[in-house]
Amino acid sequence: MPIVQFSPFSSLVQPAFWHELTTLKIDVLRLSDDVIPISASYTAGRSIKDRETGNDIALGCNISVGADAFVKGFQAPSHSVGVTGIFKNFNTIEDFKQADKTALFNQVADEMWESVIKHKDPSLLNRFLLIAFADLKKYKYFYWFAFPAFVSKPAWEISSGWKSAEEELSSESLKAISTQFAALPNPFFLVRIVNNQPEISTIDKYQEFFANVPPSSQIVAFVDPSALPENPGWPLRNLLAYLRALHSSTTSTLRVLCWRDVEPPTNSSSWKSRFGLLEIGLDQGEAGARPSAVGWEKNVQGKLGPRMADLAPMMDPTRLADQAV
Amino acid sequence: MHALQQQYWAVREYLSPVLRESKFKEHGRITPEEFVAAGDFLTYKFPVWSWEKGDTSKARDYLPSDKQYLVTRGVPCLRRATSLVYTDADEEAERLLSFGGSGGPNDGEDEWVETHAGRAAGGDGAANPGEIHDIPDDEDGGLSGGMQSLSVGSGLGGKKAGGAEEIPPDLDEIPDMEEEDLEDGDEATAAPRSTPVATPGSRVIDSSEVEVAKGNLLQVRTYDVMITYDKYYQTPRIWLLGYDENRTPLTPSQIFQDVSADHAFKTVTIEPFPHSASLQAASVHPCKHANVMKKVIERMNSSVVADQLAKSGAPSGGKEGGKDKDKEGKKKGWFGRKSTGSSGTATPTGKDTPQQEEEEVEGMRVDFYLVVFLKFIASIVPTIEVDSTTAM
Repeated sequence: MPIVQFSPFSSLVQPAFWHELTTLKIDVLRLSDDVIPISASYTAGRSIKDRETGNDIALGCNISVGADAFVKGFQAPSHSVGVTGIFKNFNTIEDFKQADKTALFNQVADEMWESVIKHKDPSLLNRFLLIAFADLKKYKYFYWFAFPAFVSKPAWEISSGWKSAEEELSSESLKAISTQFAALPNPFFLVRIVNNQPEISTIDKYQEFFANVPPSSQIVAFVDPSALPENPGWPLRNLLAYLRALHSSTTSTLRVLCWRDVEPPTNSSSWKSRFGLLEIGLDQGEAGARPSAVGWEKNVQGKLGPRMADLAPMMDPTRLADQAV
Repeated sequence: MHALQQQYWAVREYLSPVLRESKFKEHGRITPEEFVAAGDFLTYKFPVWSWEKGDTSKARDYLPSDKQYLVTRGVPCLRRATSLVYTDADEEAERLLSFGGSGGPNDGEDEWVETHAGRAAGGDGAANPGEIHDIPDDEDGGLSGGMQSLSVGSGLGGKKAGGAEEIPPDLDEIPDMEEEDLEDGDEATAAPRSTPVATPGSRVIDSSEVEVAKGNLLQVRTYDVMITYDKYYQTPRIWLLGYDENRTPLTPSQIFQDVSADHAFKTVTIEPFPHSASLQAASVHPCKHANVMKKVIERMNSSVVADQLAKSGAPSGGKEGGKDKDKEGKKKGWFGRKSTGSSGTATPTGKDTPQQEEEEVEGMRVDFYLVVFLKFIASIVPTIEVDSTTAM
């Protein structure tokens, strides 16, 4: 059976974030390279129809950091999911290069796993790590994101492939889910079908909510930042890990809804959510131990390495003067 | 010199009085209140748009503090405008866009020319996408020289548009720290496919893939689009921040590839964004906005008025007539509604007489201003899908 492949997060850093970091570095952080909290957000996967070829182009599985990333009490924009992470800014390029990335990464992954096992808290399932070095004189910013995701051994498999959610659930059900979701927006949620009527709840209520509900009427769902038909987005990995860790007896097969209709479809579009039946073999790992995690973002060449944003063309006064009319 | 000019503009905007009187139909300009009203309508009708506070130290006091400017993020831009070089043959491809919505026979006046409708990219434009020599050089030639000296923003190499015109990034500056051993290969990570695989039946292509089929080069950029209110010109003003397919910020020269040749370097320039302390963004200079908007509004308005008169002239007595009107109002779209009455949404039913109706005719409502404005902006940046309103 084909292995489920998840579409990794891609970071999208708004230039305003670098401007904010510049100010923060000069006025607040100065020489401190302590870890500070940071926020980001993602939305449901979007695709656009190319009018010239008729193909749908899936826009990336993006997670975006903007000017408000350092604001306490960060509010994700409407129709978006807020994510918290940690940010470490290094003072020199050498420090940045020599940073113990594995330790930083494991620290975040441990924290995530602990919140799952100890507190059954799903709110840290989307945590991320950002390390950076800001070359303020040259307006260059080196950065590397990591989105830790727990590796499941054996891997999840999907036998009958992903299909449109509309084929599995009726359009009316999706509409009902959409209405309830708008009232209770959550990156991860549960759906049960009772008397042909869908009801949704939060993921931490798994036990109560699915008690006395036949497995064929249980669905786990998440806001899916991917728009690719065959690849669910990155957040599903940690959701599955969470469910396996806490409810291993009932989760060897899962009905998964990739919710991509955070904005309900208009007349001209159709439901974009996907549905799949996922299966997993017997666990090999020891119960309760933290599975290994992956998730460093690849650079432009597709290698594990940092990225760079060069804002000189948009920030350097002399260059701006050159192109000004 | 440029800095001086920007200072001058800032002072000029500061000194110019806030427009109080609504005359958007006479000269195409709007008051801050009307900007907020039109913005509210835009965000209500198209939730991709939202209001932003911006930098509070840069807040304009004539706008509500939480409604300083409008923003929509991640607007896709599939192709470069330079691949849409406009030729005579394309005139046949011009399409009349109907604002009326219903597409009925008397909608003729609501139309607006959209160029390049359904045009398949081909010929030179598609073969050399991204090259910027179609853009007329400034007389002194120094400008284009200046543009070429800008280095590529992405820095990390990769496939860039218009290879010849752009200087490869300075590779020495990129820290050599690829760490392939940082984590093991993971079978459950979807790898970006190097060749486009159109999955049977779905035809969804990942934006990071470059589709070379049919000589049709696809490089999906995205833009953050902002609309501010320009107090001096008393019109909205549009701002663009772009990202390439690797989500690296675009340089000015790359942004100009998405601006139609008639406007690049002339009306589109890089300016400090007014609601941020340091951010620079590409902007369409608003000096001609009022004139263009006036013309468009005049055309649309006369048809809306005629339509409203025709409706009010029709025998409409009793409740039946009122219901009919409601229906027609809905079908007609949103800008034909009358704003008289308590809330401006309810058409008084039953007791109207034709005379009253005639007095109430006010034509296009100012709420619709920004929707029209976006259609106008779409003609300047033809490949950036700012005009989400056509999806309606």
